[in-house]
Amino acid sequence: MKRILCATRGGEASRRTQDAVIAMAKEEGASILFLFVVDVEFLRLTARGVRPDVVLAEMEHMGEFLLAMACERAEAQGVRAEACLRHGPLINALESAALEEEVDAVAFGRPAGPESTFSLADLESLCQRIEEDTGVKTYIV
Amino acid sequence: MNLRLAAEIGRRRSTLLLLLALLVFLIWSIHTVGAAVWAQEDPVEAGHAGPSVAGRLVDPLGEPIHDAEVMAREEGNSQPLAQVTSQTDGSYLLDMPPVPLTAIIIEAFRPHFQPVELSLDTDQMAQLNAGQAIRLEDIELERLITPGFWVATLSFALVLGLIALERLHKTTAALLGAALVLGVSFVGGAINPELFIFDFEQALAYVDFDVIFLVMGMMIVIAVIEETGIFQWLAYQAYRLSRGRLWLLVVILMVITAVASALLDNVTTMLLMAPITIQIALTLGLSPLSLLIPEVLASNVGGISTLIGTPTNILIGSYAGLGFNDFLINLTPGVVVAMLVLIVYVNVRYRKAFAGAGGQLSAAMRERLRESGRITEPVKLRKAGIIFGVMLVLFVTGDSFHLVPAVTAIMGAVAMLLWVAPDVEEMLQVVDWTTLVFFIALFMAVGALEEVGLISMIATSIGDLVGGNLTAAILILVWSAALLSGLIDNIPFAAAMLPVVGYLTRTVPGAESGVLWYALSVGAAMGGNSTLIGSSPNLVTAGISERAGYRITYMEFLKVGLPATILTVIVGTIWLLIRF
Repeated sequence: MKRILCATRGGEASRRTQDAVIAMAKEEGASILFLFVVDVEFLRLTARGVRPDVVLAEMEHMGEFLLAMACERAEAQGVRAEACLRHGPLINALESAALEEEVDAVAFGRPAGPESTFSLADLESLCQRIEEDTGVKTYIV
Repeated sequence: MNLRLAAEIGRRRSTLLLLLALLVFLIWSIHTVGAAVWAQEDPVEAGHAGPSVAGRLVDPLGEPIHDAEVMAREEGNSQPLAQVTSQTDGSYLLDMPPVPLTAIIIEAFRPHFQPVELSLDTDQMAQLNAGQAIRLEDIELERLITPGFWVATLSFALVLGLIALERLHKTTAALLGAALVLGVSFVGGAINPELFIFDFEQALAYVDFDVIFLVMGMMIVIAVIEETGIFQWLAYQAYRLSRGRLWLLVVILMVITAVASALLDNVTTMLLMAPITIQIALTLGLSPLSLLIPEVLASNVGGISTLIGTPTNILIGSYAGLGFNDFLINLTPGVVVAMLVLIVYVNVRYRKAFAGAGGQLSAAMRERLRESGRITEPVKLRKAGIIFGVMLVLFVTGDSFHLVPAVTAIMGAVAMLLWVAPDVEEMLQVVDWTTLVFFIALFMAVGALEEVGLISMIATSIGDLVGGNLTAAILILVWSAALLSGLIDNIPFAAAMLPVVGYLTRTVPGAESGVLWYALSVGAAMGGNSTLIGSSPNLVTAGISERAGYRITYMEFLKVGLPATILTVIVGTIWLLIRF
């Protein structure tokens, strides 16, 4: 059975991507591995005493919650889904997950506007990079 | 565990605890004994058996000038008869030789000031020749704009710019500023004396160690409390108590955030409240921004109500000698009213979002939320709660027996280490030394501005602008602080404004009540709500929200934050005008 890796979060754009990947998985008879990447790099924005370990744990809780929501969404539509939580910069986490979790494809949501993390051009070049580095097929859905 | 290793850990722990205890003792000693010792060292008060000339040097603001060279010489002779350096309070005492003197010139010199020469009159000469001590009127030294002035000013502007544009970490930027002024003083000063700003000892004298120890102590205390799960539990209780009534949920969350920010720290509060708030919002089918933005607005406003709630209050309290109770009495009621206005505003602003919410999640997801909102360390929470309760009592009562907040914070930290989290190495690792270094470097950079006279110029200009009108001074301070805090980092801004407000407090009639300190506090903290970059809680909340897939854009925050700022600053201003 095929396995599709889909990095996700909780916003409207992420839900649209989830729906597209769920539809794709249904068509292909594949399962989905939803990935949430915990990155507390934003802590550099404050010069105040914070405990990165405690913040990291809270971000993990939040990530697990968002992943569980995505899995429920997929399973409600009859698609088997699993969750995967990783740390660090998004691209590194994506590449390592693609290799270590033995997925057959990586799916990305099409940029929905100026608020998206990536522009379409950046996303296409990221897909190319992931395909070259991991040999895993990528899709923009 | 290996016995030798255990013994080594035990030894290190004891050493560190001993060091902390010594620090407490040191701070205590400085505050209780220092004043008396300095008074004894006052050369003018000490008196002198032979002929002597005493006096005081002041700048145009009436501030004492320390470390100035003061010399007495006979007219027509460049050789000094007596030469001293002025003390911290600007005083000097020249011991004159017991020989008949004709005409004496007193000279005073200090970098960045116009040198002064004055001749003693006939009566004064007669007194000296009779072996008596004379005391001169205060000598005012005019400021000079030197190349060092521009170095200090441009260095500070560079620090502000680098922080605002996020080109460097705050601490690196502040260190760069301090290194520039010190480097130019030492290297440039050797080539051109007018480039000299201050030496290292003088730079260190500008570092407010009350602030450093208070921040450090509170970091340890908060580090223990934050791992207990109390913030998450409180947020979950808000969800449970509101029973799906979103207007009530946002009210409870805002109150929790405001109180936690006032008692602990607003950045920590938002870092721990934001992730569970996002989960609560999603459970209720609501955009998380409808809860996160009101929370962050409340955290910025709530922090103003206590001495320890915001870094700007810590700076103000230490510089102005304001205690915990001063903030509690003079600001908390105003903050409560501002919070009420903010709550109404938020409910009106988000009424459509609240009305449109829907789509409850499954029971499994609600169970997961309950799991996220549980107390993770109940025993630790109980102990930490007791210690923090005692700390609050000491903060409130400490003023009456001169217990400074820094000592209370250090005692609380030591109590946490002894009773709650005895792994001292782990706890000291959670102290954010980057923040402490930021404060130290910032104090030096601001100190350089004081040395070269920029602060004095700003103070004089504002003083001239308000023309002795207290209401005008309050309005200018509150609103300019609010405006600038939305654009630049409010910590360096507040640090630079402290001597300015000190001058205005001394010179504007009626300001001796301390109202202008509170005006700075209100403006600097409430102004942080106007833009996304206005305060640290805004930025970390946006960071967490973005990770969850909900981006808070600059414009989106501005649309909600700016009206909230205007409303709360109006309330704050009215409160200050009524209270004082």
